[in-house]
Amino acid sequence: MAGKGGATPATYSPSPTTNRKKKPPIFKEDWVRPDGRGFHQCRPAFFRTGAVNAASGSAYAEFGNTKVIVSVFGPRESKKAMMYSDIGRLNCNVSFTTFATPIRGQGSDHKEYCAMLHKALEGAIILETFPKTTVDVFALVLESSGSDLPVVISCASLALADAGIMMYDIVASVSVSCFNKNLVIDPILEEEIGQDGSLMITCMPSRYEITQLTVTGEWSTTKINEGMQLCLDACAKLAKIMRSCLKEVASDSQE
Amino acid sequence: MGLPNVSEDLSSEMEVDAFRRLFPLRYFERHLAESIRPDGRPLGKARETSIFLGAVASANGSALVKIGSTTILTAIKMEVMTPSLESPDEGCLAIDFHMPPICSPIVRPGRPAEASPVVSKQLSDTISSSKMIDLKELSLVSGKAAWMAYLDIYCLDADGALFDAALLSAVASLSHLQIPVVAMNDDGKIVLVSEEDGQKREQEPVNKEKRKLTLRSIPFSLTCILHKNYILADPTAEEESIMETHVTVVLDTSGQLISLYKPGGPVLAYTSAIQDCAALTRQRVKELKSFLDKANSAMEVE
Repeated sequence: MAGKGGATPATYSPSPTTNRKKKPPIFKEDWVRPDGRGFHQCRPAFFRTGAVNAASGSAYAEFGNTKVIVSVFGPRESKKAMMYSDIGRLNCNVSFTTFATPIRGQGSDHKEYCAMLHKALEGAIILETFPKTTVDVFALVLESSGSDLPVVISCASLALADAGIMMYDIVASVSVSCFNKNLVIDPILEEEIGQDGSLMITCMPSRYEITQLTVTGEWSTTKINEGMQLCLDACAKLAKIMRSCLKEVASDSQE
Repeated sequence: MGLPNVSEDLSSEMEVDAFRRLFPLRYFERHLAESIRPDGRPLGKARETSIFLGAVASANGSALVKIGSTTILTAIKMEVMTPSLESPDEGCLAIDFHMPPICSPIVRPGRPAEASPVVSKQLSDTISSSKMIDLKELSLVSGKAAWMAYLDIYCLDADGALFDAALLSAVASLSHLQIPVVAMNDDGKIVLVSEEDGQKREQEPVNKEKRKLTLRSIPFSLTCILHKNYILADPTAEEESIMETHVTVVLDTSGQLISLYKPGGPVLAYTSAIQDCAALTRQRVKELKSFLDKANSAMEVE
């Protein structure tokens, strides 16, 4: 056996030599973000549909170093144990690869992401169009580099569109981090670690409706409003990118 | 007139699709009689293969392999462990094959797929049998510290011949592996030596020379389906589900047989059939070797 028999020995990742403590970055006027972005600038977004051939619909998304792949199966027969339902069911699952985080195996305890993804998509899908059946949405985070859940939600809505599930609108999601009194949009992992609070918005940009709003930490009302506006503007831009991705696929198939 | 032709073409397509769904075995046998497969391949030809190294930036080594639609992503993380008393000069390889629910309609979240542990075991046995890796190269300080290489192999799209793609992906990621430079600090713990602190280097690196693993004989595999008198190389998921007799042959680059795996099935494995499978595999090994060399040389250019 290449692997060690019996119990796995205790291992640890070699850490850097520098003994400086990992203090969260104190926000200063001349502070620059680690990747050189402006405070209100998102990471470059890349989307591609049809990433998994075996699925009814699928999509792959990259936001900087955050990489996500989502598959949609169905509408298909619900499990026998489930009771009759006039409307369709939505089933979501989010998991991380063991190598997604810098330290191996640390990314697997985001149990709440499944429920949050479900709530985010439920409001946008027309469930009446597939009664008695279930649509399964499975997401896998290949690399985690901050703001994972918004990327998963945006990618999942693209995968649903690829599968031909009827929706009111595309769902786009963006988050901001709060440092003292300053807002930073689309935070990366280093920024998320030291944040005072975060705000995530999932919305349908064309209808200007929010399907999910999550706030953590302490926020004043004016700051929440400012953060929301920031996110909504970013979601509108993101939705344009997503629509152009779908249009590309449609025009390709026509040729 | 255009209209009747259009409707005729459409109804013909529907009939073919219905025949395929209702009588899949007969559909395939009609193709086999003409020495061709439904996707247009000859019987002994494998699907298009591509290798992409360095797909995961945060891992020490990684590779993305596509054979047809089957997509496998492998990433290697190096961690430090205390070697066992029986072998104080050796490190370890831990190989795990994962089938997340995104890759196939059959896989459900929660319990692992049935095929996962089978492929994991096959991979572990193949890599240890081939002696591709000398575990002594993974040693850092005798009896105190050694590398544990975690190979996590993820199937992103399951369309048949998973083991072939997984083995190729594991081999490619091991060839891409870059071992970090480490040193032992005063507490006896292994720490990373960052290049920024080059001038203030307090500890001497213990593995300055060994940054790449030496891959000796590299194993490659080919799965074939035996059906009546036919041998089909590199099956798709549909072919695998319809025809039951699979044979997987693993050869290394020196032509030595590493593994032969035949999990049941109604067709008997006569010597002539096994020899034909081995011949197809030998041909495939040459192909894959050139693909891997091409991918590695492309990485060196970058």
